[in-house]
Amino acid sequence: MSKVAIIGGGIVGVATAYELAKLGEDVVLFEKSYFGSGSTFRCATGIRAQFTDEANIRLMKYSIERWEKLEEELGFDINFRQTGYLFLATSEEEVEAFKANIKLQNRFGVPTRLIDMDEAKEIVLILNTEPFLAGAWNPKDGKANPFKTLFAYLFRAKEMGVDAREQVEVVGLEREGDEITAVKFRSRGKVERVKVDAVLNATNAWAPVINEMAGLKRDIVPIKACKHQLVKTEPLERGQAEPLVCPPSWNDAYIIQDGEDGGIICGAGIEHEAKSLDDVEPTYDFLRGVLRYALMIAPPLRYAHVIRQWAGFYAKTPDSNPAIGKLLENFYIAAGFSGHGFMMAPAVARAIAELIAKGRSKVPLDWDWYDPYRFERGELRTSAFQIG
Amino acid sequence: MRLKEHPILHFKRGRELTIYFEGKPIKAYEGETIAMALHAAGIRVLNHSPNKNRPRGLFCAIGKCSSCIMVVNGIPNVRTCITLVEDGMRIERQSGRARLPIKAKPPEFRDAKVVRADIVVVGGGPAGLMAAINASDAGASVVLIDENPMLGGQLVKQTHKFFGKREQFAGVRGVEIAKILEEEVRKRENVEVFLETSAVGIFHDGNEKLVLGVRKNREPIEFRGRAVIVATGAMEKMIPFENNDLPGIYGAGAIQTLMNTYGVKPGERVLIVGAGNVGLILAYQLIQAGVEVKAIVEAMPKIGGYFVHAAKVRRLGVPILTRHTILRAEGKETVERAVVAKLDDNWRPIPGTEKVFDVDVIALAVGLRPSIELLQQVGCQIKFIRELGGHVAVRDEWMETTVRGIFVAGDSAGIEEATTAMLEGKIAGTAAALRLGIADESWVKEIERAQRDLEEFRSGPFGRRVAEGIRKLLSEVGGNA
Repeated sequence: MSKVAIIGGGIVGVATAYELAKLGEDVVLFEKSYFGSGSTFRCATGIRAQFTDEANIRLMKYSIERWEKLEEELGFDINFRQTGYLFLATSEEEVEAFKANIKLQNRFGVPTRLIDMDEAKEIVLILNTEPFLAGAWNPKDGKANPFKTLFAYLFRAKEMGVDAREQVEVVGLEREGDEITAVKFRSRGKVERVKVDAVLNATNAWAPVINEMAGLKRDIVPIKACKHQLVKTEPLERGQAEPLVCPPSWNDAYIIQDGEDGGIICGAGIEHEAKSLDDVEPTYDFLRGVLRYALMIAPPLRYAHVIRQWAGFYAKTPDSNPAIGKLLENFYIAAGFSGHGFMMAPAVARAIAELIAKGRSKVPLDWDWYDPYRFERGELRTSAFQIG
Repeated sequence: MRLKEHPILHFKRGRELTIYFEGKPIKAYEGETIAMALHAAGIRVLNHSPNKNRPRGLFCAIGKCSSCIMVVNGIPNVRTCITLVEDGMRIERQSGRARLPIKAKPPEFRDAKVVRADIVVVGGGPAGLMAAINASDAGASVVLIDENPMLGGQLVKQTHKFFGKREQFAGVRGVEIAKILEEEVRKRENVEVFLETSAVGIFHDGNEKLVLGVRKNREPIEFRGRAVIVATGAMEKMIPFENNDLPGIYGAGAIQTLMNTYGVKPGERVLIVGAGNVGLILAYQLIQAGVEVKAIVEAMPKIGGYFVHAAKVRRLGVPILTRHTILRAEGKETVERAVVAKLDDNWRPIPGTEKVFDVDVIALAVGLRPSIELLQQVGCQIKFIRELGGHVAVRDEWMETTVRGIFVAGDSAGIEEATTAMLEGKIAGTAAALRLGIADESWVKEIERAQRDLEEFRSGPFGRRVAEGIRKLLSEVGGNA
């Protein structure tokens, strides 16, 4: 049994702690604030396999298969529901692009299909069909509750002996040659250290800080914290806009009905590089911008009250694909999810845990595609399809 | 039922019009809110709760609790306690969560209306009105917004005469003070007033503070200024007991709104919970309005309010049961009975001491908590101070919070009373004008005078507790301006 330190208590760190414990490893998990505080609890809850490249489609197909069984495996309600993703085309060219994507997705077993607007209206009662020509619809996509999911993973991880520490900040890594030998952390004002056999950097937007502690170049994995915001309405009756609905050509604006209280979450690709790693103040510009799109997608929303607005980070890499793999002999990374960490977590956590514990994984994760050194080598992937 | 005669108040009702409740026509008067018109027609169940389908009615009657939401002209989640009736309005009980009207058309987008002033005051009660008047006199332009259809805040339902000094309106009834302050505000040219306008958020936008307002539930307005004074008042507290959501269980303030503002009889027989000043004054006002008050129960061993109020209520034959609490409300769709019991020294009900009162209204006068939502949203440091009624914003002696340019006054700064709210409003309004560099130094004297008045007012046994709470708050920021 080896000692593995995971830095970052978001969904990826917590789920990996669980997977490693299941493989019999001795895990210590560090979170500098509270679990889920970074990006997980700020996410829009969506889960989809509708990507536009083989690696992400295959990874997400597998991830959704994990999501389908997760509630049973963890023994907690996590409110995973397959309510679908509906992308909407506004031009003939876009319809053609949808068709090509659908063909690719179908090739890897993702059942997306092109639907007309009559069918779309049946799926989304409050949809404004007029501006759209057709939709790409995958009923297997869906959403889950990020709070419940993280706490379910965390509960089971702790049950198996994971030492999960909140409000404990990692302040340094000790390195000998190509190996990290110890983690220094501050707990209640006191700096302590723990000897480790392996370390996972799962800090997403904060990852460059940790990479630097490992003696690597800060931007070896160039991750930028991009501020994204969401607004949410008051609770509404379920079934009015269950799927995530998104016309990508409208600045990837989207709406999705919260799986718990039925409030409608509205997002858009109104993105700014964050001023700092605690710049999560909501802005009026976003509120005004996002509501314009949301009301065009679903006009009845004009009668709903917005009661909440918040911001979080997309930890973006230059190609919007995460960096997953080995940075040093025993120093691993799973970060830079560019807005896809929550949906990918069940797959990525299992893959990286297996890599750390066994040196290889059965998860269909294309290690080459997500290679953390690709940026250093100047080999960017085609951009992962990002919305919001 | 509507009150026709009242020893103090004279109800001027507007034009008669017709609204439709579940298809049935109901008589209403222009200038009254939907919930009041329905109550006058005997309709108390306004919606059914989403999860357990329980009947719900009014509770706060000032737009804060959402217990009165209904479907109005097909639009769900309308707060009927602050929405005025319109001729031909269609009103339905809401049941379950809101269903949006499917046939809505996409709106035609226009930029939101922009209203600029030096200072934006949120809340038109005693604190907000005084803040607006004083900021204006100190040379600032002011825009004052309130989500209720009238100015005055809770003054508009206070029929009792005030204490204190002459310049603090001693001997004048609250309703009259509201009129005086409103006149003062209306005659100042550099003060603009927006009613039926909710402040839904405060943003920092460049060098400006932006208060996003929504008028009449639909029209967004950007109120832009360099300082914001939050005077959003308070919200009635609720206590736990069986069936405490049954229609007919009202906050004390809601009952005053019904009978004193709109001339609607709240019910026939009332049990009051809480023998503080609010509970005692309410008992007296109910009797004035021809309502029978069966009893006042108070969990504490002693009456909390002023002796003079308690003596008056007792003279009118209302028993005040100290060391008693309410166990449960009973009734099918609305309150029919209240069961109370005596408490032992450990605050546990003593079996066998239950008493049943046949009442159709239970009034909760169990305290208030500050409405700090906007302050918290904009990032002010918040602290729990029991003496001030709960969570409040940390602020300095000039009522400025930890976010520069955001001031607070009145009950939203800590639960007290209208007199102190007015003084705090005066301080906040003047201080905002000073700190923006609009008012000259001579205005500092005005602040000091108001501070002395506050100190004097708080020197009594009730005020000392508040003063202690304020000391705890000030210790967070240290020093004066």
